[in-house]
Amino acid sequence: MSGKNEDLISCSVNGKTISVPKNTSAIKAFKIAEQDIAHYCYHPGLSVAGCCRLCMIEIEGNPRTQIACNTMVTEGMKINNQSKQIKEDVQWGLDFHLLNHPLDCPICDQAGECGLQDQYMKFGQYKPDMNQKKVKKAKVVSLGEKIVLDSERCILCSRCVRFTDEVSKTHELGIFNRGDKSEVGTFNGKELNNDYALNTVDICPVGALTSKDFRFKQRVWYLKKAEAICTGCSTGCSIYLDYNEEGFFRVRPKPNEDNNSYWMCDEGRDLYQHLNKEKRLVKVYPSKKVSTSNFAVSSSSSSSSSSSSSSSKKAIKYLKSELENIKDSTKIGVLVTGQYSVEDYKEFFSVLKEKNSINQIYHWFDQKNSKNDFDDLLIRGDKNPNTKGLLEVAKDMSLKVIDSSELKNTASNLEILIVLGPEYKKFFSTIDEKLEYFKQALQVFYFSSVKLDSLDSISNVTQIPLQSLVERGGTYINYKGLKQKLSILPQVIPKILSFSQIAKVLNGEKIQLEPLFLKTQPVKDNQFSFQKN
Amino acid sequence: MKVNRNIKTYFLLSTFSGMKFTFFKMLKNLFNKKKMITLNYPEEKYKYSSRFKGTHVLTVKKDGSLRCTACMLCATNCPAQCIKITADEHKDSSVEKYPISYEIDILRCVYCGFCEEACPVDAIRMGPEWQTPDKNGSKFNYDIRYLAYRPQLKGGVESSLDDKERHSWGI
Repeated sequence: MSGKNEDLISCSVNGKTISVPKNTSAIKAFKIAEQDIAHYCYHPGLSVAGCCRLCMIEIEGNPRTQIACNTMVTEGMKINNQSKQIKEDVQWGLDFHLLNHPLDCPICDQAGECGLQDQYMKFGQYKPDMNQKKVKKAKVVSLGEKIVLDSERCILCSRCVRFTDEVSKTHELGIFNRGDKSEVGTFNGKELNNDYALNTVDICPVGALTSKDFRFKQRVWYLKKAEAICTGCSTGCSIYLDYNEEGFFRVRPKPNEDNNSYWMCDEGRDLYQHLNKEKRLVKVYPSKKVSTSNFAVSSSSSSSSSSSSSSSKKAIKYLKSELENIKDSTKIGVLVTGQYSVEDYKEFFSVLKEKNSINQIYHWFDQKNSKNDFDDLLIRGDKNPNTKGLLEVAKDMSLKVIDSSELKNTASNLEILIVLGPEYKKFFSTIDEKLEYFKQALQVFYFSSVKLDSLDSISNVTQIPLQSLVERGGTYINYKGLKQKLSILPQVIPKILSFSQIAKVLNGEKIQLEPLFLKTQPVKDNQFSFQKN
Repeated sequence: MKVNRNIKTYFLLSTFSGMKFTFFKMLKNLFNKKKMITLNYPEEKYKYSSRFKGTHVLTVKKDGSLRCTACMLCATNCPAQCIKITADEHKDSSVEKYPISYEIDILRCVYCGFCEEACPVDAIRMGPEWQTPDKNGSKFNYDIRYLAYRPQLKGGVESSLDDKERHSWGI
């Protein structure tokens, strides 16, 4: 398309002249011209259904109004949707959609991001002329493990049906019956449990399909959205993370033509759980071998979260002193997973290289057999978001990358084993094998943001908490070399160190800790008491 | 000119005029007690209209359960941000969503009545009670037990429209 004028055609949308590529539908032309147009059934990632009849337009020279989603733009076409007739068409179309739509907004999870609410505010006629009784249909129908269907709320846009037919290609959903008795449902005995099922919840313009996981947790207007990357596999889908002061609540796909288009897999939607306090490593768990005088942490007085920064600082200072004692760099092992950002690796490795002149790292990579698996949509066998980035950084710093299975031979020689642990343990199948290596090394320093319970039983492991991926930020390089940058979000747990801070402490510099944004404790009962003086 | 202005702004003058007003008011009140405006508060009480907007009441359905559907519009609308609701899924699919906790921090509440106005299902009202003093350290976080079922309400106030009626009318 670059600069080739023959691929572009010009048209006028609401009097605004624009040029669009050939084979563009009129509704896309409206989007390009940034003009409002009402629509439900049209979704840029799906085929055209043309069943909602809301995207009405007038074409100059054509007496009849037409739908924009199924009309292709031709050279010199003049289209508009500003006339009185179009407005009335849309108003009445909306009224028919609302004919059997129940008054569920107070209990509907979609309220606040509902297509019907938004469109009615923009295009509705505000004066309902309907006084018939509404047709009652099934409510709260479970469509499998993840999704609940409310047939009454459904406006039969067929987006979900088209999704299962065209994108996930699992064909579970269909529209049954006729007229005002039509309902969305699954075919006999089938459940909507495919790997991409929750996308139907996202594309549902009303609250007919809701996610069981998110249901009734929060009203959507209390949530802020942040752009992030899913780190569940090497595809690295762009996502929105919805969060507020109480924590992270859900993950939605962010449209990204270069990578995941409009979708993401259901596995990745658990990402938010690993960012919340419940699953996080919140304080230092010192190894039982270290004498407490060296390294006074987790005694009863310092177990509160406020001391976690000082204790993790202490732990890293202790690591620093231990590293200084070791002259032979082959006695230091660094075991890394591909789950950290490029910047994290750079900062951490450069310090170790400078101070201890390490020249090799062990790569913890468990999907060797399934590395190149791909399900033809999004899910990839390599469950690390940044394997490529890790290898690139190691190449730049001329570090030798050794597979972690080598540890079988070398672990017993190691005096210190530094582990950048997995952030999502469910993707790492051979954790028990690694624990055997940990036992052989003299001391293990395990960095992770996620708590791994099986480590508590091993006496020589010191667990040091890290900031989670959205608190650290950084660049991730996905399977095809696409660099994606994560923005930094507020911290959930107070005073936990990032990689740059750890590197500074290892360098012997002083660090400043930022105050906390999120609420760390639930609101207590009212402690009000009035005191004189 | 200057002297005259100084006399006017001289504070004693206004002090005396104020005392004159107070003195005559006192005489008036002494000889005509019935027209006295103030009350001896704890012993005598003013009778407000029954529509006075005081302490909140959560209404109940005919079966005695809470009318509230936990839509959080009151909490959203509350300018003092004193309402905290936790919603959960109800076993009965016709109810679907209900509050498992509903708390009003009454010390933060400004009695503006916006919660009542925002409520789409007549679940919260401002009741006629206006005396809610308590001792230091007592619970000023009103929960469901207090808001809906306190003894003064005698088993709860019924809401004007039930979901069952609404469904039977086909709306």
